[in-house]
Amino acid sequence: MNAEFSTGGLIFMVCSWAAIIGLCTFCFYKVFKKK
Amino acid sequence: MANNRENWGSKLGVILAVAGSAVGLGNFLRFPVQAATNGGGAFIIPYLIAFVCLGIPLAWIEWTLGRYAGYHNYGTSPSTYHIIFRKKKKWAKYLGSLGLLPPIFIIFYYGFIQSWILAFAFYSATGTLMDVVAQGPEKMTEFFGNYIMLKTCVGGIPVAIIFFLITFAANMVVLSFGVRKGIERANKICMPVLLILGLVLVVRVLTLPGIGKGLAFMWNPDISQLASPKIWMAAAGQVFFTMSLGMAIIFCYASYLKPKEDLVLSSLTASATNGFAEVIIGGTVVIPMAVLIAGANIEECAKLGTFGLGFQTMPYVFGTLPFGGVLQTVWFTMLFFAGITSAISIIQPLISFCEDDLKFTRKKSVTTISTITFIGSLTAIFGLAAGTVDELDFWGGTYLIVFVGMIQAILFSFVLGRRKVKDAKANGDFPAEVKADPNENEAFAAMNDGSQLKLPRFLRPIIMYVCPIYLIVLLVSFTATDGLPFITLSNVDPAATVELFGKTFSKIGFTWAFRGFLFVLFLLLNVAIAYAWRKGGPAEKGRSKKIKKMEIGNSDENMDKEA
Repeated sequence: MNAEFSTGGLIFMVCSWAAIIGLCTFCFYKVFKKK
Repeated sequence: MANNRENWGSKLGVILAVAGSAVGLGNFLRFPVQAATNGGGAFIIPYLIAFVCLGIPLAWIEWTLGRYAGYHNYGTSPSTYHIIFRKKKKWAKYLGSLGLLPPIFIIFYYGFIQSWILAFAFYSATGTLMDVVAQGPEKMTEFFGNYIMLKTCVGGIPVAIIFFLITFAANMVVLSFGVRKGIERANKICMPVLLILGLVLVVRVLTLPGIGKGLAFMWNPDISQLASPKIWMAAAGQVFFTMSLGMAIIFCYASYLKPKEDLVLSSLTASATNGFAEVIIGGTVVIPMAVLIAGANIEECAKLGTFGLGFQTMPYVFGTLPFGGVLQTVWFTMLFFAGITSAISIIQPLISFCEDDLKFTRKKSVTTISTITFIGSLTAIFGLAAGTVDELDFWGGTYLIVFVGMIQAILFSFVLGRRKVKDAKANGDFPAEVKADPNENEAFAAMNDGSQLKLPRFLRPIIMYVCPIYLIVLLVSFTATDGLPFITLSNVDPAATVELFGKTFSKIGFTWAFRGFLFVLFLLLNVAIAYAWRKGGPAEKGRSKKIKKMEIGNSDENMDKEA
C-alpha cells in the first residue's frame, strides 16, 4: 500500500490515458468534420 | 415503413444522450470499488481488454438492433424480436419482454439513490456536511445511515422522501418534453457541465502532495494477478454495467436515429466518452484520494461498497482538504448531473413501449410510467433495510443485463447475420430506401446504413463470434460462482430476519415474497404485450397515417394535430 508510483505505473497510466484521449479526439474530429 | 416517430435533432445530441446514459454512478463509484477490490493496477488491464473486445462490439450490436426497431417504428425489444422472427414465432415477443425488465427493476431504486445525491449536494452547499465531517468519520456514517433509513425528518416528514419527490418530478418533467426537447436538451446541458466538474476534481487530485502513493495503488500494473478468473469476470461485468449494455437504453435511443444517420461512429464516440469519464475521472479521483487519506484502510473503505465510498468516504476525504465544502459540492453536483441523464435514459424505453406498442400519447405514457415507477420506488424506499434494493440490483442491474446482452448478440449474429438484404427487402422486412449490397446480410447492412465511418471488415468476426461466446462464458461462470448462491439464497443465514414497517419477517421468506412481486410484474408486462399484439390490437395497427411527420417536437404535437 505504501508503494511508490513506479515508472512502469506512470507509463501504463500515460499510455491508457493517451489511448482514450486519442480515441475521443479521433471520434469527435470525425463527428464535427463536415462531409 | 416510413418513420414518423420522433428523432434526434443532431448527431451530437444522440451521442451525448447515449454517453449521458452510460456516464453515471458506475463510472465514479462502482469502477473505483471494483478496481480497489480486484487488485488496483491488475484490474485495469482486463478492463481495457473487455472494453475493446466486449463493450464496443456489443454497443454496436445494440445500436444496430435499435435502428432495426426504428425502421419498423418501434423502440423496444418485444416488438422488435417479433418482427425479427417475421411475426411467425409467438414466443419471440415474450422473449423480448425480458429486455424491458432491467429498466423497470433499475428505475425502482435508481430514482431514490439519485435523490440522495441531490440531498448531499444540498447539504454540501449549505455547509451541513462539513459540520458533520468535522465530528469524525463515525458521525459521517451515522449521518448517512439516518438519512437513508428515513430517520432524518423535517416537520415529521423524512427528508429523504422530500428529496425523492423533487427528483422524481424533475425526471418526469424532462421526459414529458419528449426526445428532442427533453432528453436531448438535458444531455446537451448536463454532459459538458459534468465533464468540466470532473476535470476540476482531476486537476485538484493530481496537484495534491503525495498523490503518487494513491496513483501507485491504481496504476502500478501487477501482472501476477492476471491469472485469477475473478478479476476478468469483474472487469467484464463492470464494462457491461458502465456502458448501459443490455438495459434497453441504447436499443431505445438508437431507434430514434434519423434514416441515413451514422451509427458506427456515433456508437464509438459515446463509448469513448464513457471510457474517458471512467478511466480518467473515475480512476483518478476516488481511489487515489481515498488511498492518500485512508492509507492501508483503502480496501476496507472499498468494502463499504459503492454507496459507502460515495456518500461516506468521499465527503470525509474532501472535507479534510482546503476548500473541502466547495469540493464536496462539486463532487455531488457532478454525480447529480450524471444521475439525471442516466435516470431519464432508464425510463425512456418504458415510455417508448407505451407510445409505440400500446399507442398511448406521450402525456398518457408519462402518466402511466410515472404511476408504476412511483409505486415501485416505494418498495426501494421502505424496503431498503430489508434488502429490496439488493434484489432489484441483482436481477435488473446485474444478471438480466448479461442475459439480455447474450440474446441480442445471438440474434444479431445468427438471425440477422444470416439473412441477405435482397431477401429481406423482397419480404418487406428491410426498408427499400436503404442502399446496401443485395448479398450483404441484414445485420451489417443496418449497421453501416448511412455510416460516416464504415465498420472495418476485420472487426466482423469479433462481433459475430467473439462477442456471443464471451457473453455465454461470462453468464455461465457468473451463475456458477456468485450468481447461484444469490439466486438460491444459500448465502443467507436461515435465522436471519428483516424489519418492514415495524414488523419482523424471516429474510428468506421476505426475499421470496418480493421475488414473487417482481414475477407478477413480469406477468403483467406480458399481458400488456399480448394485449398490444392481439389481432387488430394497437401494436399491429401501426401508426395512424393521419399522424404527420414532424420536423421537431414530440409526438403529442402530432396527436394534437390529428385531433
